Amino acid sequence: MRAIKILHLYPDRMNIYGDFGNIITLQKRMEWRGIKSTYHPVSIGDDLKGEYDIIFMGGGQDRGQQLVAKDLLLKSDIIHDHARRGTPILAICGAYQLFGKYFVTSEGEKLPGIGLFDLVTRASDQRMIGNLVVQNDVFGEMVGFENHSGETELLDGSLALGKVLKGFGNTSQSIGEGIIQGNSIGTYMHGSFLPKNPKVADFLIEKAVHKIEPNFVLKNLDDSLENKTLQSIINLTN
Amino acid sequence: MKKTIAIILAKSAYSTGRILGKSGTALPGLLAEKVDGNLMSKLVKGNFPDGIVVVTGTNGKTTTSKMISDMLNGSGVVHIRNTAGSNMRRGIISTLIQNSNLRGRNKARMAVLEVDEAYVPSVCSAIKPKYVVVTNLFRDQLDRYGELDSIAKSFEKTFAGTKSKLVLNADDPLVASIGIKALNKPIFFGISDYQGDKIINDHTADSVFEQESGEKLQYLQRYFGHIGIYTSKNKKYTRPEPNINLIKMRSLTKVGSDFDVKISTQLKKINISLPGIYNIYNSLAALATTEALGLGVDEAIRSLSKTSSAFGRGESIEYSGRRVKLLLIKNPTGFNQIIQTYLKPKPQSNTLILSINDNIADGRDVSWLWDSALEDLSSYTGKIVVSGSRSYDMALRLKYAGFNMDNIKIANTLKQALDLATAADPSESGIVYALNTYTAMLEMRQTISRFSAVKLKGISK
Repeated sequence: MRAIKILHLYPDRMNIYGDFGNIITLQKRMEWRGIKSTYHPVSIGDDLKGEYDIIFMGGGQDRGQQLVAKDLLLKSDIIHDHARRGTPILAICGAYQLFGKYFVTSEGEKLPGIGLFDLVTRASDQRMIGNLVVQNDVFGEMVGFENHSGETELLDGSLALGKVLKGFGNTSQSIGEGIIQGNSIGTYMHGSFLPKNPKVADFLIEKAVHKIEPNFVLKNLDDSLENKTLQSIINLTN
Repeated sequence: MKKTIAIILAKSAYSTGRILGKSGTALPGLLAEKVDGNLMSKLVKGNFPDGIVVVTGTNGKTTTSKMISDMLNGSGVVHIRNTAGSNMRRGIISTLIQNSNLRGRNKARMAVLEVDEAYVPSVCSAIKPKYVVVTNLFRDQLDRYGELDSIAKSFEKTFAGTKSKLVLNADDPLVASIGIKALNKPIFFGISDYQGDKIINDHTADSVFEQESGEKLQYLQRYFGHIGIYTSKNKKYTRPEPNINLIKMRSLTKVGSDFDVKISTQLKKINISLPGIYNIYNSLAALATTEALGLGVDEAIRSLSKTSSAFGRGESIEYSGRRVKLLLIKNPTGFNQIIQTYLKPKPQSNTLILSINDNIADGRDVSWLWDSALEDLSSYTGKIVVSGSRSYDMALRLKYAGFNMDNIKIANTLKQALDLATAADPSESGIVYALNTYTAMLEMRQTISRFSAVKLKGISK
């Protein structure tokens, strides 16, 4: 099988919450299974070239985000095409918001997103900070650390990534956290997210591999440390 | 009248706390400020005739304050100083009260106050410092502070039109640009001769963009993170020529450094007995401050050469016959610096303790562990003990950085961590490096003093 191409969008600008851990996790969990991968950082003004197998984008500072938002619109069609072909996508925090339909700033300005996710986000004056525990039927309990003031509303028909057991999630009042739409996932969970939630990491890897070899079976890894870490965070929130 | 009641209340809270054996310093300040909301400015009014020095920034506050304090002592300037544990608003009030009589008077000529970045605007407007030293600005505890940009912005606003003399790091573009609207020309310190760290996975380059336009800065030299020699079309983001300028690095080791500094027109040879590039920056910040103060430069350099580690910043303590070096980690830049300075040069014979807590004072979010360049240490073969409320997060980070997990032990308590790290093993005779987040470090010191016959004493080497 050829190497899996990981596209990391705006790593130089959307990188303030330890989101590199997600890339490290994807790379390592492929390496441990003998799957080769290559890493492709792409930023403002860069072109997207050819087919990518996993797309990742993290969160950034508010100022950085406006410039990124503009550039992202130029890359929107290619990202949509990838999503249609089943390319797994993970968008965290700022990226999660920019992948929605639009973002309303505290001044009431409406910044367009790329509309990959059926959601809208509005600035609020409350900062939602703390550990998150989220329940999903397939992935089980997931953990992460949220730090956002945007309130995200999922539009009709879209499915939250999971149910909030601890923390805030999409809004200060919400029962849902994140979004899952086909093979694309959006979430507010930093932490980093994937190391502590290996089932989600493997979901992304499996979808990427299956684009190339539909019958490829992912070997099980020893996830005892990952699971203990996840459990230790659940215990901290109790 | 309110002021006196507030002071009496705080002083009695302080002595009650001491009787109960509590070292907390915020409570007296909290009580006092409840009684008199303007207490902070009243406590400095008429005091400190030679002025107040505020030291702030993400890393190096405590060590830089200690250096300045040592220099003042060397020149016989009576002054007061707060500790790292009391660098927020209430802690500062507590420090001021402890050092004053019931009428709020004290005998010190000066005060050297380290101030947490988030409290700089309110503290500076209350106490009107004569000098403000900013060491650097890195991402740190975002859950508490908000984002780095908003800190920089709040600094720029605070110092617009200020009469305070600013002492700024020329090599940090976020810091160098905050004095642009100050009334007095800032004093800049910087390093012009350094080859730079060789960090494999440096994810700490926070501020390589201009604030307003988002344009990328051009680096001629990048030392670590976003520190280095940079330029831009915009003058605001072009590195200013340092007034205190390291022009020749003679040696840089984990026990100390030698270097030549140009101070105005004079060239001075300097030796410090603290390790690493970050302590050179702290030294330059302190020298720049004494230059601003007009202290004798030779006396300042002499004091600087004798400065030893500040609380938890490289103190050596004995436990079970092994030397334990206590090091504070709180953000990726600091973590990377400790790896480069202490652990990477000769990693094999040592033992490591990594204790990570997620209390408010540590930062609740431990994402930063994933931005730290642990990959640089992955060939490390010594024993590693992890502990703290986030011990599993730390262990997991090591796993994904490629460490041999057979060498890694998870301890439930810090006592257990110390015992595991120092357990008899003839092959391990090296130093135990204990890297701790803030509250883990306090706990570590307490544990060592409770279970060790050796009296706690900070020694530098």
